[in-house]
Amino acid sequence: MSKILIAEDEIPINNLVKKNLSLVGHDCKQAYDGLQAVEMAAEEPFDLLILDVMLPKLSGFEVIGRIENLPVIFLTARSNLADRIMGLKLGGDDYLTKPFEMQELLARVEAVLRRTQGVSRDFAFGEIRVDFSSRKVWRKGEEIPLKPKEFDLLECLIVNRNIALSRERLISLVWGFDFEGDSRTVDVHIGQLRQKLGLKDEIRTVYKTGYRLEIPGKQGGGRT
Amino acid sequence: MKLRFWQKTYLLTLTLFLLCLNLGIFALAFYTYRRSVRSAEEGCRSEQFYVMTAFRRDYDDLMAAGEGADPKLLMESYGAAYQKQGIGLNFYENGRSVYSTPGAESVYTDPGTLRHEREGGDRRVILSAEICDGRYVMVFTRSVADLDREFRSLMLTYLLTFAGVSLFLAICLYIVLKKLSTPLERLRKTTEAVAAGDNTVRAQVSGHDEFTQLAVSFNAMIGKINDQMEALRTEAEQKQRLVDDLAHELRTPLTSIYGYAEYLRRTPADEQDKIECAICIQSQAARLQKISEKLLDGAFIRNNEIQKVRVCLPDLLAETAADLQRIAEDRGIELIAPSAGPSGPDADAVEGDAVLLGMLFYNLTENAIKACDPGGRIVLSCGPGWAAVADTGKGMTPEQIAHVTEPFYRTDKSRSRAEGGAGLGLALCKTIVDAHGANLRFESEPGRGTKVRVEFTT
Repeated sequence: MSKILIAEDEIPINNLVKKNLSLVGHDCKQAYDGLQAVEMAAEEPFDLLILDVMLPKLSGFEVIGRIENLPVIFLTARSNLADRIMGLKLGGDDYLTKPFEMQELLARVEAVLRRTQGVSRDFAFGEIRVDFSSRKVWRKGEEIPLKPKEFDLLECLIVNRNIALSRERLISLVWGFDFEGDSRTVDVHIGQLRQKLGLKDEIRTVYKTGYRLEIPGKQGGGRT
Repeated sequence: MKLRFWQKTYLLTLTLFLLCLNLGIFALAFYTYRRSVRSAEEGCRSEQFYVMTAFRRDYDDLMAAGEGADPKLLMESYGAAYQKQGIGLNFYENGRSVYSTPGAESVYTDPGTLRHEREGGDRRVILSAEICDGRYVMVFTRSVADLDREFRSLMLTYLLTFAGVSLFLAICLYIVLKKLSTPLERLRKTTEAVAAGDNTVRAQVSGHDEFTQLAVSFNAMIGKINDQMEALRTEAEQKQRLVDDLAHELRTPLTSIYGYAEYLRRTPADEQDKIECAICIQSQAARLQKISEKLLDGAFIRNNEIQKVRVCLPDLLAETAADLQRIAEDRGIELIAPSAGPSGPDADAVEGDAVLLGMLFYNLTENAIKACDPGGRIVLSCGPGWAAVADTGKGMTPEQIAHVTEPFYRTDKSRSRAEGGAGLGLALCKTIVDAHGANLRFESEPGRGTKVRVEFTT
């Protein structure tokens, strides 16, 4: 669980980002203009700042000059290359243009957090405990052997917990874009995970969408 | 062969001039020659006359002296005497040669004639006359070889002079024409540069001739073209900016709509969550609709001739105020408008489209309400040919005023968005005002308030 500051003046988008990040277990604070973002970042420590470029009072590019030691993902409607380069030059860790898919944002957030935070990564929910570093899984304290692709799939579901992922998305995340098998491969592996880890209810099939690992509320913890 | 204008001029002028000069010189030479020949002939005649007179006297003396005198001896002595002077004498008696000066023999020539005879390079004048009462015919010949020699040397002099003058002329004409055509050449280079795409060059203007006028006109033309290109570029930039801004304006609500729909689809949202998401989707869709409506309104006003009728400004302002009174009251803002119609039907009336003008004042008043904090005051007023909306809101800086009628420009982005503004209200007002040929003037001071005046020119 990481503390994330969202600086975005469009209230609906700000709320949306917060909702999504909260789903995967992050703790979010909201700022609606540049000055507020700088003040909030100074008051308490955050793990990540999601920063809109076109903010009132202080632009995102100005905000980044006033804060230190905070990973930043830029969020903007400006998609030209010059702005993107400017953002990355100023110390942005990543750059996302509107409109964006929430999964894209979550993936970038995950990547930046993984890059900037410590290596100890494990996650526990229900009867399951997962150590991402040693790639081991325990159920009720007993180690369950998983095939590499099954573990990758589990990791992917945990990172995107509470969010339904389509079969195509899972294939591209776990098997890579050049995978030529059909989507039934995903169904087979999901079946294996459900059976081996007893996650029949937790891994839900979502109508016309895909699969979702549901870990309600604040249950589940550790660094992912 | 490609010849420049000045080269053509040069060749033609030179040829023509030399031809004329040549003709002139030869005509002159010929004339001189003819005169020389005439004067030589005259000389011959007078000499002949002298010889004849002398001979007759001597002959008469001889005849008077005695019967046995031989006129041939007299002829011989005359021939010998005149031979030294280059004169030949031939005497004929009844067509028969009696005496000829040796080396100057001549054929019989009818008396009273003059002719020229050429023998090798030697030219002679031959004169014939009867003497001694028709007894003899004297043919007088005189060499004029020196005349031809003189003529040849004269021609040589003329030719040399001609060559010298020609060379001099060729050089001078070359320099003069080259110099005269320099402005044209410069202008040609300038046009080439312009044709190659360099529109910063200008033709050099000097002197007062046609080339100067041409250069001036050319510069004026380039200036005009540049201005128009600049205007087109500015227009294209404005259009591009509008498109960019529009893309941004569309992107923001689309991001929300997409994101909330995605959220609804992929996450186990509870009932409250679902309703919140739906509200957001709805409000963002409404925002898109508002943008498209205003854009279409603007396009409609621009593309259609407005129907002008007499519109009573106080009535219109009173209606506007009535429409917005509740919204203003809810925010604790005082809205004051002139009362409708007491000042008579024609007072403060303008020509215009009542619906569009209503839209104009509605937008302006709505903006004023948005600019005001609770306790603020908005005054709608009008006079002959003008109407104004004044507020005690947060005001604008001159820089903001300069941009305020641009589409999607917002003086306070977050506030305007929070109130659901599309950023097109004042742009639409500007379109309406322009369609009426009126002016929109902003007087504002940050923190003190804004007064917007609509000034009708008709």
